[in-house]
Amino acid sequence: MTTAALFFLLLLCLISGMPIAFALGLSSVTTIMLFSNDSIASIALKLFAAESEHYTLLAIPFFILSSAFLSTGGVANRIINFAIDCVGWIRGGLAMASVMACMIFAAVSGSSPATVAAIGSIVIVGMVKAGYPEELAAGVITNAGTLGILIPPSIVMLVYAAATEESAARLFMAGLLPGLMMGSMLMLVIYFVARVKKLPAQPWVGFKNLLRSSVSAGWGLMMIVIVLGSIYGGIASPTEAAAVSAVYAYFIAIFIYRDMGPLKGVPWKENENDSLAKIVSRNLILTVTALPKSIFDKDVRNVFRDASKVSIMLLFIIGNAMLFAHVLTTERIPHHLAEMIVSWGLPAWGFLIVVNILLLMAGNFMEPSAIILIMAPILFPIAVKLGIDPIHLGIIMVVNMEIGMITPPVGLNLFVTAGITGHNLTWVVKAAVPWLMLLLFFLILITYIPQISLFLPEYIDHLKGY
Amino acid sequence: MLIRIINSIEESIIAILLASMTLLVFVEVVLRFGFGMGFMWGEEVALHLSAWMVLFGVSYGIKVGSHIGVDALVKIFPETVRRVISGVAVIACLAYTGIFMKGAWVYLSKIQMLGIEMEDLPLPKWIAHSILFIGMVLIAIRLLILLWSIATGKADGFNLTDEAKDSMHLAEEAVASSTTEGGKSV
Repeated sequence: MTTAALFFLLLLCLISGMPIAFALGLSSVTTIMLFSNDSIASIALKLFAAESEHYTLLAIPFFILSSAFLSTGGVANRIINFAIDCVGWIRGGLAMASVMACMIFAAVSGSSPATVAAIGSIVIVGMVKAGYPEELAAGVITNAGTLGILIPPSIVMLVYAAATEESAARLFMAGLLPGLMMGSMLMLVIYFVARVKKLPAQPWVGFKNLLRSSVSAGWGLMMIVIVLGSIYGGIASPTEAAAVSAVYAYFIAIFIYRDMGPLKGVPWKENENDSLAKIVSRNLILTVTALPKSIFDKDVRNVFRDASKVSIMLLFIIGNAMLFAHVLTTERIPHHLAEMIVSWGLPAWGFLIVVNILLLMAGNFMEPSAIILIMAPILFPIAVKLGIDPIHLGIIMVVNMEIGMITPPVGLNLFVTAGITGHNLTWVVKAAVPWLMLLLFFLILITYIPQISLFLPEYIDHLKGY
Repeated sequence: MLIRIINSIEESIIAILLASMTLLVFVEVVLRFGFGMGFMWGEEVALHLSAWMVLFGVSYGIKVGSHIGVDALVKIFPETVRRVISGVAVIACLAYTGIFMKGAWVYLSKIQMLGIEMEDLPLPKWIAHSILFIGMVLIAIRLLILLWSIATGKADGFNLTDEAKDSMHLAEEAVASSTTEGGKSV
């Protein structure tokens, strides 16, 4: 009865078009008031505690802030140049470079639609110019963009960690190998397609150019290295790593890349033949004088505004989702479901099929973070009872969410690709479908070979001597 | 004019909260690794700054349309029906804020009466937690304004965010910077 009321209210609220946070909160509060003796003061305290007692959750605004600094067109271009210099000379290299650029930008920005927009808007045109079919270019980018939520640091993984109280650091370890594997799989298939379709290769640019473009992209890449290195090494928690990366990203964006802020457009060398001492001293002075100016800079303010908008939205959903999870647990709903499923004799692999289908369906209608917050508290206890590793379950859920980004009607990546190519949604869906098959195949691999996800966290544990 | 001032005050408060919590955790990390020391109160303060940012910012989010929701179904209906549904949804959200205002009031007055202090800071707990009540009042005000615009036909529902559309400015920016030298320097 309580269960039915909770889910009915939630559904009703969701389809009325109210923000998901309110839908979760209102359905939970109403259920509590109708069916339990909890005072509303204690519910209010729960909401405040949800917003103020989870140190891991602070990583979310920090990562969003750092990606807001580095998700710029300029950074996208640097990464693309680097990727093309790296693998462009292989047959089909431009498409492979696009996948590589998507992987790197995805890790920096953590957002799938942003990756498709920033990388896609440049490389799709580039590929068409070089003689690639536009369907292929658009399909590859739409799919490669989804890697944003799988390759750590990933906001969706932090959300899963919050919903299940699993270690975010371990999730970040578990996501790396599947992310790299997915990217390499895409590149491999592109290589074979390129052989069959006789797609062109770019000329090899030489080591000097490769070195130059890798230094240029390296400033952004360093952010990933710092974050993952410190988390994998157990030096810092995800929250601390995220705070450092936010400050680092600010510094790189304003003083090194100079795509925004007070130094925007100021060149490093005033004249071609300046001496090194002059360049160093001039830029040092520029940096020091720009530091106070950057606080009141319009671009910097905009970055903060955008980052805080997204953070507030996400953290408020999470707070309300915790109320929702509280009702679920006090009513022992996941527990009952788990007993039911175990009594059916459903094996773990059967349960995972159900999970995949359920999530793929949900992914057609809702945002990844919202789905995880609603589904994880339900699925998690069942999975644990069936002996499925919680970290593995997290990666399965994230890969499912990836697929949700490229299936209509809410497939965000589809809309972005439609926007940047100027084609309609049906065309984009058709272009993406062959590559979607690859993603589904990958989902099966991830679901039934837990070692892909668990190898790295277990290996790191082993290194540390557990 | 007044609205623009309120806007910029709201944005500034949120930005300052976000910046200060980021810097606080950053400084803590630097102190810990560089000098082997830290603040006792660092974690508590950072968490409360975050709670203040979120609860203060939700109402701002309603105004600028940064919340996510499912509006696929509402969009099917003709405008009048859509406005009625949205109006009911806003009233439901108002009920939500009402419940939490009441709950927060009872809770805050209780801890104020008991005189409980924060764990690491010499500050009465009810002041640190008061943002729950303040935030709900602010949300309620925004919802009332929204309800009025729906009733007068100026809006037809929650102004929900469209992430796909938001990403498009990045596409323009990327193309712009690929044609200038800016993309290649450094």
